[in-house]
Amino acid sequence: MPTDRNRRRIPRRMWLQAAAVVVLASVGLVALFGSPVARAAALGGIAMAGGYGVGLTALRRLLAVPHGITSTARAVLDEAIRMRSTLVLLMLLVACVPILPLLLDPAERLTYRVQFLVMWNLGGASLILSLLTIFLACGSICGDITSGRIHMSLTKPLDRQEYLVGKWLGIVLYNLLLVALVGIGSYTLIRMLAAGPAADQADRDAVERQVLVARRAVSPTRDDPEAYAAAVNSAIEQREKDDSEGFAADHAGARRRIRREFDREWLTVTSDMVSTYVFRDLRTKGNTSADVQLQMNPRALNVDIDFSDVSFAMWFNDRPWPVRDGEAVAQIIPSQARHVFDLPASIVSESDDLRLRIANRNLVPAGETRATSITFPPGDGLQVLVRTGGFESNFLRCLMIMWFKLAVVAAVSVAAGAMFEFPSAVLAALVIYAASLGSDFFRDALGIYNVASETAWGQVAERMSYAAQYAAEGRGYDVFRMLLGFLTDAVLWILPSFSSDAAITRLATGIAIPWSAVATRFVLFGAVYPAAFGFLGWFVFDRRDLVKSGS
Amino acid sequence: MRPRVRAVESLDLEIRRGEIHGLLGPNGSGKSTTIKMILGLVTPTRGRIAVLGRRPRDVATKRYIGYLPEESYLHGFLSARETLDFYGRLFRLPARIRGERIDRLLAMVGLDAVGDRPVREFSKGMQRRVGLAQSLINDPQLLILDEPTSGMDPVGAWQIRDLIRELGARGKTILLCTHQLSDVEDLCDRISIMFGGRIRSQGTCDELLAGESASLIRTPPLDPVVEGEVREVLARHGIQPVVMERPRRKLETLFLEVVEQARAEGLTTSGAKSGGAVPTFLRSDGGKGQPDDSSSPAVVNTALLDSLVRNPSDANGS
Repeated sequence: MPTDRNRRRIPRRMWLQAAAVVVLASVGLVALFGSPVARAAALGGIAMAGGYGVGLTALRRLLAVPHGITSTARAVLDEAIRMRSTLVLLMLLVACVPILPLLLDPAERLTYRVQFLVMWNLGGASLILSLLTIFLACGSICGDITSGRIHMSLTKPLDRQEYLVGKWLGIVLYNLLLVALVGIGSYTLIRMLAAGPAADQADRDAVERQVLVARRAVSPTRDDPEAYAAAVNSAIEQREKDDSEGFAADHAGARRRIRREFDREWLTVTSDMVSTYVFRDLRTKGNTSADVQLQMNPRALNVDIDFSDVSFAMWFNDRPWPVRDGEAVAQIIPSQARHVFDLPASIVSESDDLRLRIANRNLVPAGETRATSITFPPGDGLQVLVRTGGFESNFLRCLMIMWFKLAVVAAVSVAAGAMFEFPSAVLAALVIYAASLGSDFFRDALGIYNVASETAWGQVAERMSYAAQYAAEGRGYDVFRMLLGFLTDAVLWILPSFSSDAAITRLATGIAIPWSAVATRFVLFGAVYPAAFGFLGWFVFDRRDLVKSGS
Repeated sequence: MRPRVRAVESLDLEIRRGEIHGLLGPNGSGKSTTIKMILGLVTPTRGRIAVLGRRPRDVATKRYIGYLPEESYLHGFLSARETLDFYGRLFRLPARIRGERIDRLLAMVGLDAVGDRPVREFSKGMQRRVGLAQSLINDPQLLILDEPTSGMDPVGAWQIRDLIRELGARGKTILLCTHQLSDVEDLCDRISIMFGGRIRSQGTCDELLAGESASLIRTPPLDPVVEGEVREVLARHGIQPVVMERPRRKLETLFLEVVEQARAEGLTTSGAKSGGAVPTFLRSDGGKGQPDDSSSPAVVNTALLDSLVRNPSDANGS
């Protein structure tokens, strides 16, 4: 006979169903009657949830082939949709992607809001998916081992290698689904936000021509490369004469340093000179409607000044631009900010080149003895941008790179799960992920351990030389520090660099992600690194007694 | 540093094809470690193990092995049917064959009515039944059962004993590891008793149990007069002391009678039902089956289909 208490108890499944109905109904109401942005968020949420179910069914069908690898991968999918930690992160993902637009300040310029949305939506999703991958992979493998489920699997015709590959494949396919959903949700939201009200027409144009676009960046070259080469060679010879011993120790590094000095000098426009920069092979020939833009990010340079407005005049292919009354109009723009000038396509020469001359028009500021120089940082300090395609293709390439990176994270996590118990595995995977994410930062931060030489052998020789010198002086800590540099160099060399491609930044600033970069990442992150980490994990896993002796 | 335990030492164990071999020993005697070494889960520090003529880690060997571990290591989020499907896929069984075998095995272990419920909602005994079913999905030649009746109710335990007996009769090689000595005595052809990681005693039940210095005469209940006369006759032959007692019924027998009576009265349970017959796909090979190419999954499946066609009564869910 059931007691009153038992009779009143409602099963947990019913609670969950009721909660799901309430959430869906609320979201549906917002989608129907909410503000445009709230409606977009609600629709994005519904689309992601629906796509999740459809995609999961499709993946399960794809893995229906009865084989050890596919069956293990299929079980990972089943596990992924039920594991608590992954569910929490998934909910966070579903909540973050559509809700983020609601947090943007509508008073802000639309260009910045769209850029912010692209950066934070994809960056946040990438972080959440990486964490989800780590917890799923480590939880699945360590859970199998500690719960003893591995007894059941590995006593079937399933090789340990197949088991690990199956786990990796399942996670990678699950990530594919989630990246696709994030892509659909984000793209919808970006387009809806971009269609919203802009501050003015310039703001609207900037969104369309500087953010939701894919542009090829062309860096400047020298007007006279032969003269430059001769000057550099002359400087190198002079340096060799002045310091023959130091030069012989690392002549490749010395050459690089001299070239860098020349580059810095070349990218600086002092008050008494006109600098010339040639942008070659712009590929606009025959396309008079091609979008051509000059992007610059100038720095002010004076004795006590590093931030101020800078003033200059420009000539393109020996014609002043912009022109007023037949004269070049001086531009006055703030330094340390990115500025984009839309240029007419007709300004490009017949030979598809653009020759830019810049004359410094700065005056001598109060308290200084000379006019402020203008310098352009190497890289994106001075570039010509030519439209090569639309935002969609660039967005797709960004998502592909994101997915490839997750494949590395999955391989690292599978390897960690195969080698360690859960807490250690998660920690190891997190450390490697963080190091890969911030590899450029770590290279700078660990600069105290670095040496000046730029070649590997030069660094080894220099480091050993310093270590010997410190040892002779009895400076034990410095010897240790020098030798530790070998370890940090090796670690940073081995780890994948997730920050070097800057795919999300490129997407948000409308710079095309080249297909060659996608192909390189596919080979490196989709195959080479997973194979390397997978081999390491398998090497330990294959030799590991997966069960403790019982009775 | 934690001292390393030598779980098994100088083990010399042979399990013959087609026999039911009982592996006995107190806790910590090395039984489970021995099984894990046979299955390739633990690597021996030295020595050699051959399973069906191959190394234990050889994937090809595992096609012919069924294993029920001492505890039910199952994915709690999968249903019983999905669990069997998952393991069937690992054996690369085609979908149709897999489906048929799953239906028959669920019926055999009495879980066909609850096959779609997540395993985590099952009692320990029901999970053992799922574990047993998965160990048979590939129609194994060598079946390793570690404490198969652990957590089972007496009805389930009785059915498993019957199943083991039936599989043994069909020529399957079975390694039975249990603390239920009566089960071993009833079922096993040969027995090995382990202690301290070594085999202390090995042989058939008859060999090991023969030589008890007493005789047992089993008769219908005797009245006191006849009992007195029997005592007199035995005393005349100098046989003393004589113990005559009326044995009690076994508790297991009583339990089974109560359950059968309840079922006969139409009472139902939300758990496992009484198990069905042993499926015909668990082939009889008389202990002569060889792990060669003729036993590859495709051929096995053809044989299974043939057997289903030949046995329409089984195909109807007997």
